[in-house]
Amino acid sequence: MAIVAQHTKFSKIAWPVLAWVVALIFFFPIFYMVLTSFKTDADAVKPEFLFSFTPTLENYANMTENYDYWRFARNSVITAVSATIFTLVVAVPCAYAMAFNPTRATKDILMWMLSTKMLPAAAVLYPMIFMTKAAGLYDTHFLIIMVLSLINLPIVIWMLFTYFKDIPKDIIEAGKMDGLNTWGEVREILIPLAWGGIASTALLCFIFCWNEAYWTVRLTTTDAATLSKLIEGNRAPEGLFFGRLSAVSTAAVGPIVVLGWFCQKQLVQGLTFGAVK
Amino acid sequence: MANRTVPRLLQTPAVLLLLFWMLVPLSMTLFFSFIRYVLNNLRRPEWTSPSIDNWRGLGNYQYVWGQDSFWLAIQNSLLIVCSILFLTVTLGIAIAILVNRTFPGRGIVRVLLISPFFVMPAVNAVLWINMLLDPVLGLQGIAVNGINDMIAGMREAPVVGGFFSLWPEFEPISFRATQTSAYAVIMMVTWQWTPFAVLIFMTSLQSEDQQQKEAALLDGAGAWSQFRFLTLPHLGRPIAIVVMIQAIFHLSLYAEIEIVSRGNGNKNLPYYIGELVNNNIGAASATGIFAVILANIVAIFLLRMIGKTLME
Repeated sequence: MAIVAQHTKFSKIAWPVLAWVVALIFFFPIFYMVLTSFKTDADAVKPEFLFSFTPTLENYANMTENYDYWRFARNSVITAVSATIFTLVVAVPCAYAMAFNPTRATKDILMWMLSTKMLPAAAVLYPMIFMTKAAGLYDTHFLIIMVLSLINLPIVIWMLFTYFKDIPKDIIEAGKMDGLNTWGEVREILIPLAWGGIASTALLCFIFCWNEAYWTVRLTTTDAATLSKLIEGNRAPEGLFFGRLSAVSTAAVGPIVVLGWFCQKQLVQGLTFGAVK
Repeated sequence: MANRTVPRLLQTPAVLLLLFWMLVPLSMTLFFSFIRYVLNNLRRPEWTSPSIDNWRGLGNYQYVWGQDSFWLAIQNSLLIVCSILFLTVTLGIAIAILVNRTFPGRGIVRVLLISPFFVMPAVNAVLWINMLLDPVLGLQGIAVNGINDMIAGMREAPVVGGFFSLWPEFEPISFRATQTSAYAVIMMVTWQWTPFAVLIFMTSLQSEDQQQKEAALLDGAGAWSQFRFLTLPHLGRPIAIVVMIQAIFHLSLYAEIEIVSRGNGNKNLPYYIGELVNNNIGAASATGIFAVILANIVAIFLLRMIGKTLME
């Protein structure tokens, strides 16, 4: 490559160093949070223990006692997993039909679905509170599962559609010749072929559900409160509890950040609706 | 295909769910925005339940339009959104170009860079406002104290002591205050969303025409003019998409505002609506309709852009 030839010795060293420095700066807040989670609350605010301290696991051991962590985590897992499954059950057939039997309306339907995503949540806050309280659904798992599904459904359909579109139609036609019905096509051909796409879509949907912080905060009090609600409720610990707050925060985001590493590529496709390749 | 019933049937659940989600709450908001509806009013108890008899016409819209706090909320929404957009796009381009070359550990650098995007917004805000930005106990306070101590030490030094004694004591900034809390929100959201911009620009840079760049190099084009006339035009479309997707997300920013300042002097539109919902439902609904209009202006552009590439 001619461009490489242009590089001087200086830029060969300075360039990677600069890239590493930027990456470390961006990662630093997460690192600092994890680091603080291993300090006692008293040590966490003392400058002399900034980087050298005696690590302790007591913040993690006392998470249940201090914050009732597992109750919130359980709610997060229940709502995010159920919402992801429900979204996929609704979205896979829809995207399948759109990709393999497109009509003139398909494009418009897809655009319309996306436009529901752009409705500001705050605009319908009170009707949601009003309806769910009237129906006795306020602060229930069912409600949060439904809301999380609805807000993610457009993106999930969209992502699946872009994956399914790339599968050659002939294969499905061949399946028809072999006498497969629609369910057979989905089970025998579509799911095996698009498995990677479906899995990463599910992963991304799960991450979005887990991190959601508007409806989960406004439509719950205790029974269905998720980790977002737990953290939001401890917004100002006045410095007394930095250690334990870091531990519970690390426990809330750690697994998701690691999952996120595995679906970077899909993120681009999912969030730009296939418009950047 | 001859049989259209099955495909239609398969799309029905998704369409019905979204139709319900879009129409039912929004039409309620629209209805509430035209009536007098307050949750607590001892003098006029008939206003405390939604009824067509309390019709107010455009009164709620007029009331909201005349409120200074409504305009402050819009101003704040725009300040926050525009600052974040500017910062994430410029930082995103710079970092994407930085990481686009091959160098040792590039894979790890990418993983480190993308991580902030997956941190839940509530944790992001709590982490920044307490552990990083707190003026006494956070890293900011510790750093400012350290610098002050260092300067104090230098004052005793011979020769240069006179110079350092001219320096002031630095004051840490409280980011929970009215004037500064918007900056804290801008900082934390920029930290979270720059990785998103980097990821998209990086994807786009990989499809850049390398032969064209080599030709430009042979013609004696410098690094700057290569960037200005080749890379930047190539990134035009991704930039537009990053801007619009972020605009939609950040116009509805809520958790960060709530956690940083509880909206103390720093309300954006969603927060303002959230406050009105505690009592004045009519006004909250009218504000909600204004928010929908604002979001639609952005959304129309985005949908047009995406629509073009959809069926390729």
